[in-house]
Amino acid sequence: MQVIQFSSADFSYGTFPVLSDISFSVEKGEFISIIGENGAGKSTLLKLFNGLNRPTAGTVSICGLDTRSAKTSELAAHVGFLFQNPDRQICCNTIREELNFGIHTDPERTERILQTFGFTPDASPFSLSRGQRQQIALASVIARNTDILVLDEPTTGLDYRECMSMMSYIRKLNREEGKTIVMVSHDMEIVQDFSGRILVLTGGKLAADGPARTILTDRQLLEKASLLPPQIADTALRLGSGFADIFTVQEMTDRVGHILSAVAVQTQDVHI
Amino acid sequence: MKAFLDYIPGDSPLHRLNPLSKFTISVAVCAACFISTSPLVLCALIVLDLLLAALGHIFTFALKLLRGLAGLSVFLFILQVLFIRTGRPLFTLFSGFPVTTDGIMNAARLVLRLTGSMLPLAVMLSLTKLNDLSGVLTWYLHIPYKYAFMLTTAIRFIPVFTAEMESIMEAQTARGIEFDTKNIFKKIKLIMPLCIPLLITSVGKSDTTAVSAELRGFERRNRHSMSVIYPLRAPDSIAFVFSAGLIAAAAVL
Amino acid sequence: MISIKNLSFRYKESSTPALDNVSLEIGKGDFLGIIGESGAGKTTLANCINALIPHHFHGDYFGSVTVGGTDTFDTEPGSLALRVGTVFQDPDTQMVADIVEDEIRFGLENFGIPKNLIEGRITAVLNDTGIAPLRYRQIRNLSGGQKQKVAIAAITALEPGILVLDEPTGELDPASSRQIFTLLKSLNKEKGITVVIIEQKIMLMCEFAEHLAVMSHGRIVSSGTVRDVLSDIPKLESAGINYPRTVRLYHELALRNLIPEGEPVCVTTAEAAVLVTKIIGKEDICR
Repeated sequence: MQVIQFSSADFSYGTFPVLSDISFSVEKGEFISIIGENGAGKSTLLKLFNGLNRPTAGTVSICGLDTRSAKTSELAAHVGFLFQNPDRQICCNTIREELNFGIHTDPERTERILQTFGFTPDASPFSLSRGQRQQIALASVIARNTDILVLDEPTTGLDYRECMSMMSYIRKLNREEGKTIVMVSHDMEIVQDFSGRILVLTGGKLAADGPARTILTDRQLLEKASLLPPQIADTALRLGSGFADIFTVQEMTDRVGHILSAVAVQTQDVHI
Repeated sequence: MKAFLDYIPGDSPLHRLNPLSKFTISVAVCAACFISTSPLVLCALIVLDLLLAALGHIFTFALKLLRGLAGLSVFLFILQVLFIRTGRPLFTLFSGFPVTTDGIMNAARLVLRLTGSMLPLAVMLSLTKLNDLSGVLTWYLHIPYKYAFMLTTAIRFIPVFTAEMESIMEAQTARGIEFDTKNIFKKIKLIMPLCIPLLITSVGKSDTTAVSAELRGFERRNRHSMSVIYPLRAPDSIAFVFSAGLIAAAAVL
Repeated sequence: MISIKNLSFRYKESSTPALDNVSLEIGKGDFLGIIGESGAGKTTLANCINALIPHHFHGDYFGSVTVGGTDTFDTEPGSLALRVGTVFQDPDTQMVADIVEDEIRFGLENFGIPKNLIEGRITAVLNDTGIAPLRYRQIRNLSGGQKQKVAIAAITALEPGILVLDEPTGELDPASSRQIFTLLKSLNKEKGITVVIIEQKIMLMCEFAEHLAVMSHGRIVSSGTVRDVLSDIPKLESAGINYPRTVRLYHELALRNLIPEGEPVCVTTAEAAVLVTKIIGKEDICR
């Protein structure tokens, strides 16, 4: 079932064009990442998902609603948006109130989420660390139980453990609850580990749309988009055709072992 | 993207004037606005503002400002007219709100004063670098650097906070909060989710700015630290005489 | 150059110490990266080097920090600023001026640098940081990366021997982050400035730093050259460090006894490719 559909969507700030001819669709339950260099239009594109930006040409359809005519609050019922900076939304005295803020929250569901995250419900969200505040922002997005989650650089300012904990929770929402996830990230390792499908944005246009492995091992494509491949893919690309499809540490190690045993067998053959 | 109080670089006669002169002229025009009671004089002062803007090659910018103030002016005009009931009644609005001569005069005065005093400040800030402004305030007016710095920092932060406010509104809108409601009481209730994040961020930001300034020797600065000098020349004396004349004229007319 | 001995610090409002008996020597001209989880004490340590602790942030302070022979406990941060410059994470709020050259002029005026030398210094530092074309631009309209370069220029104009940077690329994209690291490396190599930098971007840290210090729960759990620190995986894992995949590859290969004798850990992808080529013994397979 298609939940997101972009048809030749354009977006301009006044007369200044930012995005042009964006067309793609997303099925329910997909986990897609949007990558591209700074200034390519990623954040602008994300805001088209929930009506914060409306297309200046073409259409964007979210769960059957046309974003040009639907109110942002209507779209907010289907799309939960996690911003880069949690401090732009935290405004309540207690964590519980914060999670209940916003439309379509349910007190029972909020209690369950409070428990899962291990928050102290009556604590003040302002006294917590940046990583914890980002978790609160994520929890308040989840509390609204939307079908689609849009994440704008969700791991900014987080250390490794906080980052992994957040991304694992998002993966759980995707795999166990069938939520559709759309993420923008600069971190190629995160993109590699979590996305099924990747959209590459260059100069406001969609340069590529495909499975994560295909996109992240295509050096020419990534160079054109001024991006570096993730580390292992980059190493593999440097090593040449014998390693063309290598993506993970495990695969690389296995391939090395495989090559060495093949060489050993050859040497044995020669001796015999 | 240019924010409305940004410095607009240029080489006009006003750009070349000493920052102190520009400051004096704009203060004089503001003062004249509040001293004078005649709406005719107030209109003349607004025209003067536009002429000054033209002299500074920023006439189109000044017109844009006027247009921006128009909405607020209309709102305030109507409010004043509705609530002032003294003087000779002219006609009645909404069966219960007499529109009187006093009402119209006061409303006109208020709106003209508002416009007449905001315009010169905006024009002056567009033609003067903030650093130069704090420089002349410290050197010629002997204002302690601390206060001049506070003023220019406050002005500098206006666009930063405006941008922050826009981001906050986006974040809260994305949670389904409707900011376009017609209900005024609902609107007031919605102020809190906007103001609290702004207040929290502004406190954090100001601490970093203070520490950063301190680490670059802010505490050591005095009136003689400035490395740029702002000499007063002939056109500047014309500006001072003009300002004095303006205030006198406003008092008399 | 910087000598930290048995340093412990607890913030006034906190019950647990932020720093617990930390000792570290940072040599002149070093490029040291400090890594660790959030809350590990990295910012606290940096603030002890520039004397913000104990003068601006108060609490219980034990031990000592000496910078070029001067004890930071007895020196106001403003006085130490000519020796230790600090760059913060937020590109906007550490600026005090509207125009780029005024930002650089600010510190020079405050510290009474002779007025006839100021313009020259501004020009020189703008060239060193590669932002000469931005001299008359309004800071607000610059990109995050450009703003951080302005911050670095404003501070290096005062010619401090030491630069302390607290997550300067936290808000920047990968390309701008790399530019900042490249700039810091050139200042380190060409001007001999000692760089102490806190960052979460591990790959860039490992590529550009010479030494690393790993912090966890207020202590330094590992320190030394980049390669030494990256060789001790259990310590990195328990400190919650996201070490580079290339390092993980090295250790996976080591577990299978495939690493040639004495071969150091690989950090960059280029080094990893060279290592794999060595292992499989086929020079021509490497592009």
